[in-house]
Amino acid sequence: MSFLSLVKVEHQKVRRSKIFLILILAAVILWIPSVLNADLNFGMQAVGISPENSFFIQGFMAMAWFLFPAAMVVITVLQTQTERNDHGILKMLSLPVGTAKLCMAKFAVLVSFSAVQVLMSVGMYYISAAAASHTQGYAFCLPPLFVFKEACMMWASAIPMLAFFWLLAVCIRTPVFSIGIGLASIVPSVLMINTKVWFAYPMAYPFFVTASEYGKLAANLETAPVRLIPWLPAAALITAVCLIISCLCFGQAERR
Amino acid sequence: MSTMNLIRLELKKIKRTGFLPAFLGGGILAAAVPAVNTAFRPELFAGLSAPPVSILLGANWQMMSMLNVLLIVAGACVLYHIEYADNAMRKMSTLPVRESSLFFGKAAVLILAGVLLLAIEAVSVFGCSIYWFSRAAAPSAGILKSFGFFLLMLIPAALLSLALASACRNLWTSLGIGVVCVFAATMIPAQRFALTLFPFAMPFQMPVNHTGDVIRNYAIAAAAETIVISLSEVIILKVRRIFA
Repeated sequence: MSFLSLVKVEHQKVRRSKIFLILILAAVILWIPSVLNADLNFGMQAVGISPENSFFIQGFMAMAWFLFPAAMVVITVLQTQTERNDHGILKMLSLPVGTAKLCMAKFAVLVSFSAVQVLMSVGMYYISAAAASHTQGYAFCLPPLFVFKEACMMWASAIPMLAFFWLLAVCIRTPVFSIGIGLASIVPSVLMINTKVWFAYPMAYPFFVTASEYGKLAANLETAPVRLIPWLPAAALITAVCLIISCLCFGQAERR
Repeated sequence: MSTMNLIRLELKKIKRTGFLPAFLGGGILAAAVPAVNTAFRPELFAGLSAPPVSILLGANWQMMSMLNVLLIVAGACVLYHIEYADNAMRKMSTLPVRESSLFFGKAAVLILAGVLLLAIEAVSVFGCSIYWFSRAAAPSAGILKSFGFFLLMLIPAALLSLALASACRNLWTSLGIGVVCVFAATMIPAQRFALTLFPFAMPFQMPVNHTGDVIRNYAIAAAAETIVISLSEVIILKVRRIFA
C-alpha cells in the first residue's frame, strides 16, 4: 500500500470522532476574550505596538503557549485510543504493511490535524477581527499574507513538539502517563523561552517563535530573536530521534 | 454498598492505571517549581519584604496550579475511561449500585489525589521558606491556611471535570473539553470577580491577593458550586439512565 493511501485510511478512521468540533471549540474560545477586551489593544503605546498587531499577536501567543500544544495532546490520545478500542491495532498489524510506515502515516495525520487547527484559528481570527472592528470602529484586520506567514511559522516550529507527543503516545501505553506527561511538559515552556537553552525544549518552540514575532512588531520591546543555529540542528535531531524511537516501538506490545 | 466500600473499590480499580504514581510524580514536579525558581535567582526574592509564603506563592502558584488543574482533568478522564473502555460500565450498571454513588466514589478518590498533590506542594513551600527565608519564624499556619483554601478551590474543578468525563464515552472528548475549559480559565481577567467563579478558574486564585471578605466569598462560591455540580450530576445520571 502506498504511503498516501495509508494516510487516507488513517484519516478515514478518525473521521467520525468529532475531534473537529473540539478543535473548532478551541479556536472559538481562543478569540472570544480578544473580542471582548479589544479596547485594551489601544493602551499598548508603552510597548509601541499598533492595536491591530497587538490584537493578532496576543491571540496567537495565547494559542502557541497552551491551547495549541494541549489540543495536539488530545489528538494523539484520539489516535491511540481508536486503535486500542476493540483491538483495531491487531488487524492493522496483520496487514502486509510495515509498522514503521503505519506509524509515520499516523504521524502525518497528526501533522495535518495541527495544520487544520492553525487554519481554524486563522479563520476565527478574521471573524473576530471583523467583529472587533465593528464594535470598536477601528480596522483590526491584517493583510492575509502576513497572517498566513505568521501562522505557517508557528505551525512549522511545532513539528518537533508533535514528534515528541507522538513518541509519548506510542511508547507510553498507560493513558494517564502519556496525557499527564504531555500536558505537564507544556507548562514549563513559559520558563524555558526565557532561558538560553530554549532550543533544547521542543514544547517551547511555537511559543518562542510567536513571542519573538511580538518583539519584532513592538518597537519598545526586546525579545530574544530566533537564531537558526543551533535551533534548526537541535530541532531536526529531536524530531528524528522521537520519530525513529516511536517507529521502533510502534505495535511492539501487541506483537509479543 | 456503603460509601467506604465504594471508595475502596475505586481505589482497587485504579491500582494498575498508574493513577497514583501520576499524581505523585505531578506533585513532585509542581513541588519542584518553587525550589528551582528560587534556587536559580535567590537574590530576586530574598530582598522582598513580604511574608515568605506570599513571595513563594506569588512567584510560582500560577505554574503550580496549572499543573494541579491539568492533572485533575487528566485524572478525572482516566477514572471514567476505565469504566467505558471494554464496556465495564455496563457491568457496573447491572450491580445494585446507583450510578451517582459510582460518581461520588470516584470524586472522593480524585479529591484525595488532590489532597496528596497539595500536601506535597505545601511541604515544598514550607521547605523553601525555611531554607531561603530563615529570618522569619516557621510560617506553618500561613501555609496550612493557604493550602486549605487551595483545596477548597480545587473541589469544584475536580467535580466538574469528573462530570464531563462521565458524560463522554470517549477519552479524547472529555479531555479535549476539559483542556479547552482550563485554557478559557487562564484567559479570564482577574478583575472580573463573577467570571473568576468559573470552576476551572478558581484553583488559580491566591488568598494572599485578596482581603478576608473576598476569600470568604470564594469559599462560599466553592461550596455552592460543589453542591450544584453534585446535584446536577445526580439528576443527569438519572435522566440518562431512563433514556438509555
